Amino acid sequence: MYESPIREVLVEGGKTYTDVSNDICRPLENKATKGWWIGFIVSALVLALWIGATTYTLMTGIGTWGLNKTVGWAFDITNFVFWVGIGHAGTLISAILLLFRQKWRMSINRSAEAMTIFAVICAASFIVSHMGRPWVAYWPIPLPNAFGSLWVNFNSPLVWDVFAISTYFSVSLVFWYLGLIPDIATIRDRANTRMRKFMYNFFAMGWDGSARTWNRYELVSLILAGISTPLVLSVHSIVSMDFATSVIPGWHTTIFPPYFVAGAIFSGFGMVLTLLVIGRVVLKQEEYITMGHLDAMCKVVMLTGSMVGLAYITEFFIAAYSGVEYEQYAFINRATGPYAWAYWIMMSCNLIAPQVFWTKWARSTPWFIFVLSIIVNIGMWFERFVIIVTSLHRDYITSSWAMYTPTWVEFSILLGSFGLFFTLYFLFVRYLPTINMSEIKAILPKKQAQH
Amino acid sequence: MKNNNSKLILGIYDDPDKVLAATRNVRKAGFDIKDVYTPFPIHGIDKAMGIQRSRLGIAAFIFAMTGLLSAVVMMVYMSWGDDWNINIGGKPNLHIPNYIPVTFELSILFTAFGMVATFFIVSKMAHGKNPTLMDIRQTDDRIVIAVNLQSDSDHKAISDIFVNHGALEVRERESSI
Repeated sequence: MYESPIREVLVEGGKTYTDVSNDICRPLENKATKGWWIGFIVSALVLALWIGATTYTLMTGIGTWGLNKTVGWAFDITNFVFWVGIGHAGTLISAILLLFRQKWRMSINRSAEAMTIFAVICAASFIVSHMGRPWVAYWPIPLPNAFGSLWVNFNSPLVWDVFAISTYFSVSLVFWYLGLIPDIATIRDRANTRMRKFMYNFFAMGWDGSARTWNRYELVSLILAGISTPLVLSVHSIVSMDFATSVIPGWHTTIFPPYFVAGAIFSGFGMVLTLLVIGRVVLKQEEYITMGHLDAMCKVVMLTGSMVGLAYITEFFIAAYSGVEYEQYAFINRATGPYAWAYWIMMSCNLIAPQVFWTKWARSTPWFIFVLSIIVNIGMWFERFVIIVTSLHRDYITSSWAMYTPTWVEFSILLGSFGLFFTLYFLFVRYLPTINMSEIKAILPKKQAQH
Repeated sequence: MKNNNSKLILGIYDDPDKVLAATRNVRKAGFDIKDVYTPFPIHGIDKAMGIQRSRLGIAAFIFAMTGLLSAVVMMVYMSWGDDWNINIGGKPNLHIPNYIPVTFELSILFTAFGMVATFFIVSKMAHGKNPTLMDIRQTDDRIVIAVNLQSDSDHKAISDIFVNHGALEVRERESSI
């Protein structure tokens, strides 16, 4: 068990095993609250916007977007990298923090993993919609074909990305589901309607809590965590190679893989905080997701924010030091050119704003954490926008210079992707336990747990 | 294990430490523990029950190697065969360093899916399977030690061990298997 005189307790309120089951199952066993309905309907309406705008794009083509010959990637890939980045916190929390034996992860890993899966779904939608001909979206998969056979180019980071993202999505899904099984069994045995019993029985796979099964289960979880850790690092490294292996000034930098991974952790924790600061209050889980948890996450945000800030500054230094004219211009243009406003939003949101978490007050004031987590999300979206658009819009020859202005379709897809994300998240909150009950029961202080 | 008596004796607990002690003593006294059902993992229960360390780790390694090999064979075949070779600046067709990302991803993919599938198979888990529960609360807040009752005369000895270690309840039931 987890007791120490100097550490704060992980679960407050002297909970027993029974209390844990009751508290965590309450949101999904009771009738849906008015708040849930409002949230769900609003999200679903925004999702409808996404469906509309995406369908319009697929039917008409990407001419509906503000792209031009010079700026060939903009909102689409910005949104893709943004959502993939957010999708990194879940596996990071459940895998890396598991290997580091950070027990505070246990209250937040379930919802963070759910967030991961939904965020990767959003990210994948941008990959498909940005293809000029989405009906041949299967072409990056090496399938036997009638072209001769013409196989995919395994030297291309875009192909690596297909493998990385699909592996990441499916492994995260398996990891998440495996973690859910014991809890689904708990809900099955508490269920009082036939429909609930049938559904949860179906997904519980006959789980009975046998010690022999637990023994294997723990080993499988550990190995999955062990392989997910390099996986999560590899995914965003490969995403960064989409840029880093090109010859575009501003993209062609070796610092990209670690810098993107730090940014992904940063934005992922930003989104986890956005969701949990609200969720813990609405779902009445303050005793499980304590101020100690928020404090720890704020520290991670501050650390990774400083890491990306260091990377921004390093990029500048290397551009100056390299002596490459184009590289130097790309960075000067970023900070002082027509998109300087985006650059300074990025700098202030990602490097400067998280520094307030050095103070105890900032880390222990939920409304402030919430505001800051939104700032982090905005800042990380702009980071990708800055990297993509400012590096592209002033090409090598001045006659090719162009400006990029997004259209309403792009704005709708961006906004709509939040609808997709939150609709899925609201369904998750309604039908699955948002906290891992079996893990929480295992870390309850011994004396309070039984009655 | 085959026994002539098809009864189980159950000790129901709410404290993992008492369960550990009880399990250890039941086993020491030579009785045959069918299983211990717990709502959360109890550390040390495998030793107390005498469960061997799972060999799933070996399986994981084999799956990882399968994934690695499949990836390498696939990519070498596709870029080395008679099919269209993509000539990029006259560079060699076998670009081993460029194969690393896909090889890595497929190794992970095979390991994860292989491991989890193996786990479901050896644990006899399947979608929609109806579990045989000893107690409806064993997935909630109760821990159940189930011992195979080889002969009725053992009943008292086992239930004494259970009670001495703080069982909330001792009960007998038909073994369903």
